[in-house]
Amino acid sequence: MTISRLSILRIGDQLCRIAARMIGLFVPLLFATSVFSSDVDVFVVDRDGQRVADVAVYAVKLDGQMDLPAPTKNAVMDQIDRQFVPHLLVVQTGTPVEFPNSDTVAHHVYSFSHPNKFVLPMYKGEQHAPVTFDHSGVVSLGCNIHDHMLGYILVVDSAAFTKTDENGHASLSLEVPEEYVINIWSPRIRDRDEFLSKALVTLDKPTSEVIFSLAKKLTPPHRGHSDRMSWSDY
Amino acid sequence: MVRLLILISATFLAFAAHPADGSDAPNRYQLRAGIDVSYINASGYTSWTEGFVGKLLYDDNNEDLKISQAFVDANFQLTDTLKAHAVVDAYDDGIGSIVGFTQAYIEWRPVPRSKNRYRLKVGAFYPHMSLENVSAGWNSPYTMSFSAINTWIAEELRTVGAELSVSRRPETFGGAHTFSLQGAVFVANDPTGSLLAWKGWSAHNRQSRFGDQLPLAPLPQIQPGGVFEEQDPYIEPFREIDSRAGYYVGGEWQFNQQLLIRAMHYDNRADPTAFEDGQYAWATKFEHIAAQVSLPGDWDLLFQWMTGTTVMGPVTNGAHMVDTEFDSKYLMLTRTIDRHRLSFRYDIFEVTQNDKTDEDNNPEEGNVWTVAYFYELSNKVWLGAESMIIKTHRCAWEYYGIDETRTEKQLQLTVRFRFGS
Repeated sequence: MTISRLSILRIGDQLCRIAARMIGLFVPLLFATSVFSSDVDVFVVDRDGQRVADVAVYAVKLDGQMDLPAPTKNAVMDQIDRQFVPHLLVVQTGTPVEFPNSDTVAHHVYSFSHPNKFVLPMYKGEQHAPVTFDHSGVVSLGCNIHDHMLGYILVVDSAAFTKTDENGHASLSLEVPEEYVINIWSPRIRDRDEFLSKALVTLDKPTSEVIFSLAKKLTPPHRGHSDRMSWSDY
Repeated sequence: MVRLLILISATFLAFAAHPADGSDAPNRYQLRAGIDVSYINASGYTSWTEGFVGKLLYDDNNEDLKISQAFVDANFQLTDTLKAHAVVDAYDDGIGSIVGFTQAYIEWRPVPRSKNRYRLKVGAFYPHMSLENVSAGWNSPYTMSFSAINTWIAEELRTVGAELSVSRRPETFGGAHTFSLQGAVFVANDPTGSLLAWKGWSAHNRQSRFGDQLPLAPLPQIQPGGVFEEQDPYIEPFREIDSRAGYYVGGEWQFNQQLLIRAMHYDNRADPTAFEDGQYAWATKFEHIAAQVSLPGDWDLLFQWMTGTTVMGPVTNGAHMVDTEFDSKYLMLTRTIDRHRLSFRYDIFEVTQNDKTDEDNNPEEGNVWTVAYFYELSNKVWLGAESMIIKTHRCAWEYYGIDETRTEKQLQLTVRFRFGS
């Protein structure tokens, strides 16, 4: 009996030690995922209930105190088949943006969007310095040779940005607990600005969801230059 | 034909020897050239280009292999915002020299500083009208022969002057709409309108070059003893006779590459009593409307309508000696799928007479049916076929003892070569 009781106690002691070790191993991991960041799922839906793709989504802290890491790599706005690709590019303020030219014809890219105005002289290939946008805002792009070309760069004071996919869904990973404002932007959206921002408090839970239901009809998606309607020559 | 062949061969050898699209950055020039080799089977009156009344370029005497088109279209970027553009067309039909300029101008495209884009053209160029003539060298990718309206533009209309256009960048209107306005002041388009009165509408692809002398039929009124006996037996459409500038104003709305509407008012402000060196000035005014719509199933619908007046000579009996109204419209359906392009076009045209000058009898009416097909063999070679039937009733044809109503036909099988980027 004595031996057996002792054995049981010993076993129980060992189990406790293992359990403690397990807790010691896993609790900090649980803590790390649940306390420091939270995934925010953002959905953009038009007034007909259809999901809207290619909408910029970004988060800024409500108090405006954003610790912006220095941009680590350049962003790219290419020109392919006499179109800006992508049609909408989102970058953090201060990110150098490269404008390579994948076409065989020259382009002459400009923007008059204050205060991010710039002009890249006529060029082919990648023989010019990237353009850095130091101010947040929408930069609309044109080509002075091909008037039909239209593209946008959205410059944001945030490192938390993305675009909605074809299902109208975007995911941001945000610190917790914090108070954020989630913003969306697209050249197709005509709703007033105040409907394009939503406050969000990230709590100690793994995911939260923000849905933007647009009230106004979207403008049609940008249609690229087509050979069927090539009116630019004359 | 032989001289034209030699010239064309030399041009295309030069193109072949030249690296078509070098890797130099930036490429400051763009050279494009084209040649259509066609088998033509035509029936109708002897062509107007031969000095008679046929509405086509070809007639019974012309069943043959022809070079139905040959051009070089060159763009040179002088600075980042200044471009020179010139187009040379070659014809061996005895109307002017073999090669000549159809356009030569400089365009200034300042980098926009606001949502307005300004463009200024100075030189000789086509007014911004045709929906068909959108390819290099002001040619049509849809058919070989142009509509009656654009055929007349090719024959007699050119801006020699300056055109300013302003367009609003599309993001102003949610990225979908583009608006533009044009205004031009020009000279050297005074005889314009004379061919519409004295020859009538036509259907072909010949573009008048500067220096061309377009032949007139042996009209009784321009023969010795006729009311206009001073007129040369040809028209020089790009002449300044009265030292008065003309103008046009126009506008355009494009919606998302799906709809385009264009309108224009033209007035050459010519003095209809002016005359110089065998050429009369014709006061010509017209309104022009054009629309293009993308339809489901890869179809495009094109429409142009032109209506106007041309007058010449002093006023007698309440009207100018020649006082005519002209009107034409066409509808084209075109579909491009992969390498195939099929186009149907129906034109109607009319010239009516308001004057009471009996020996100057210009009314006509008619229509044109055109079916054209292109197959893209490669990005340099297309195979094409076109059938065109043009039916005309023209009173003046009685002068020559020929039927006043005639249906002229033309079948064209073409190998179309295009070079350059």
